[in-house]
Amino acid sequence: MKTLWELKAKQAAVVETINSQLTGPVISRLQEMGFSEGQQVVCVRRSPFKGPLVVQVGDCVYSLEQAVAEKINLALAS
Amino acid sequence: MERIVLVGKPNCGKSLLFNQLTGLRQKVANFPGVTVELKTGQFDQFEVVDFPGTYSLHSLSKDEEIAVEKLNLAVDDDDTRLVVCVLDAARLERSLVFALQVQALARKNNKAVVFVLNMIDEVERYGLDIDIKALQKELGAPVYALSAKTLKGVAAFKEALPGLAKQAQAPTELNIQLGEQRKFIERARAINAEYGIRSDVVLKNQNRIDTFLLNNVLGGIAFLAIMFFLFQSIFTWAQPLMDGTEAAIGWIANTLTGMIGPGIVSDFLNDAIFGGVGAFLVFVPQIMVLTLIIGVLEDSGYLARAALICHKPLSLFGLSGRSFIPYLSGHACAIPAIMAARTIESPRKRLITMLTIPLMSCSARLPVYALLIAVLIPKDATFLGVFDLQGAAFFGLYFFGILMALVVSTLMNVFTRKSKELKDMPFILELPSYRLPHWKPLFQRVLNSGVQFIKRAAPVIFVISLCLWTLGYFPQGAGLENSLLGKIGHFIEPIFEPLGLDWRYGVAMIMSFLAREVFVGALGTMFGMSGAEKNIAGLAAQIQADGLTLGAGIGLLLFYVVALQCVATVAMLRAETGKSRIAWGLYAGYGILAYLIAVIAAHIF
Ligand SMILES: Nc1nc2c(ncn2[C@@H]2O[C@H](COP(=O)(O)OP(=O)(O)O)[C@@H](O)[C@H]2O)c(=O)[nH]1
Ligand SMILES: [Mg+2]
Repeated sequence: MKTLWELKAKQAAVVETINSQLTGPVISRLQEMGFSEGQQVVCVRRSPFKGPLVVQVGDCVYSLEQAVAEKINLALAS
Repeated sequence: MERIVLVGKPNCGKSLLFNQLTGLRQKVANFPGVTVELKTGQFDQFEVVDFPGTYSLHSLSKDEEIAVEKLNLAVDDDDTRLVVCVLDAARLERSLVFALQVQALARKNNKAVVFVLNMIDEVERYGLDIDIKALQKELGAPVYALSAKTLKGVAAFKEALPGLAKQAQAPTELNIQLGEQRKFIERARAINAEYGIRSDVVLKNQNRIDTFLLNNVLGGIAFLAIMFFLFQSIFTWAQPLMDGTEAAIGWIANTLTGMIGPGIVSDFLNDAIFGGVGAFLVFVPQIMVLTLIIGVLEDSGYLARAALICHKPLSLFGLSGRSFIPYLSGHACAIPAIMAARTIESPRKRLITMLTIPLMSCSARLPVYALLIAVLIPKDATFLGVFDLQGAAFFGLYFFGILMALVVSTLMNVFTRKSKELKDMPFILELPSYRLPHWKPLFQRVLNSGVQFIKRAAPVIFVISLCLWTLGYFPQGAGLENSLLGKIGHFIEPIFEPLGLDWRYGVAMIMSFLAREVFVGALGTMFGMSGAEKNIAGLAAQIQADGLTLGAGIGLLLFYVVALQCVATVAMLRAETGKSRIAWGLYAGYGILAYLIAVIAAHIF
């Protein structure tokens, strides 16, 4: 299974689950921000030196660091 | 008073709407130790309360917890008549998740709810529109489409507000219970699918600008240019304002003491009030200019990009990308810098940032650096044949401060990593659309920064100023050398001995606790010179003739880089952390560290 962190620039995918290593409140916040099951995500850009990536989720654009992005599991886009 | 509560997700335009409703008079309530800020203003007979923007009623940090608690209390309160949920029309789904939760909360407390569909001008600009009537039915509450920017629909909303607030709300069935978090998300998505506009239309512009501003090369250049501009502005543009304030204070002092005539009262006014308290008022314009520029960066949407760019390098030292602006501001003054640290998402990183900001060389240190560099380094000496050695020394001191801050923050990061009280929040940052800022909230913010600074720092400054003046003035007519302060200086001379300094420097150092730049004037007095601030070269020559050794001079410089010689900063840290233990502990800690560094320098050179 792929995580959000492995997404390359311009690649799209669909959110599947959030790794339960994150605490409950963080998981629900991520879901409320749009990272809920079945939501399409598009990687807008990658930063050099493993800096935060930029993703478009629904109507918002977010920047996430590796520690969080690694915990979001994706199903490959159809 | 009857109350209207304003809520919404970050960047939905809530601040601007609040300003359009209430005009320019407003109060800001702060709570010690947290970043929660509640703004209240007046609209008609109503008190309007602006709650901090957030994504959810489920809090992640202590600050959010307190904000949510305050919101719960406010919605429950009998005086509250209406809850206004502000939605970003271009981002309906995201704004609805939180708004629907608040609606459920309001219903539970039998409070009326109205939705504001803000940014409607943007939707129209894309040639789209939203079916308000149907949306109103779907949400089960009135919906007002408006633009806080172009004022379209605002007049109609203002007119309707009193009526909406008077409507007694019958207890309604909750269609979603507050705990059913998934259902809010699903409902928001369903409503958006039906009524929302297509997101790629909205995000196209923003993404296009970002391909430039976040580009690895061009984005880096733009970042440096913007930060250089920020840095310049706080020094060059604020300077005339600061000079003006200084002149005005001097003029008032002269006029007033001229009227009273010489004597103890006039000495007191001149030295303790206008000299002491006035010395710190000079920083107010600089703080306001700094706040203005940070405000423009934030409202335009660039601040989030700057944080993104800085995040990786700063995270190596246990800091967040959002620590960059506070650090940069710290080079002007630690106080607005500590305020700017409020935006840092993780409580632990925020604390580390706040505690290391005082190591940045603020502008109050400049006169001290200028004096000592003039003493130690000949005017036309060069470094490696090209660089002016005095300039290089200045640069070195700034660099030393930054280096110390990074070392200290790395250490603090290691030692607080396991802390349960200070939670880390993940770095998730929304990149808002680029927008032209509106002057009203900016003006409000700038004004507020000045007022807050004076409110927080003035009482301490006044007390310290009073103490120092009393110690330096009595016994009357004895002069500083034979005053109580002079006696204390002689008494504690052994402390300064390892630094290679005598009691005169000791007294000047004690006096500079008020504000660092006082050092120059105080040392001038000790050398029998008045108005040394205006004649740094003259004082430097005197000190040279007096024989300050190179080691002692370098030690003194490094002491001023590291030591937290500023009561206003201590007061600010106390207010922001909510703990005097931390603030005074830091004062002592940096004092000891500075002393040790100075002793080592005195022995090496
Ligand atoms: N075009 C447009 N811009 C707006 C509108 N309302 C606010 N803005 C801008 O959106 C940005 C964010 O607004 P702000 O009030 O700070 O949002 P807040 O985070 O909800 O307080 C600012 O630059 C505002 O000037 C609006 O109705 N239309
Ligand atoms: Mg705002």
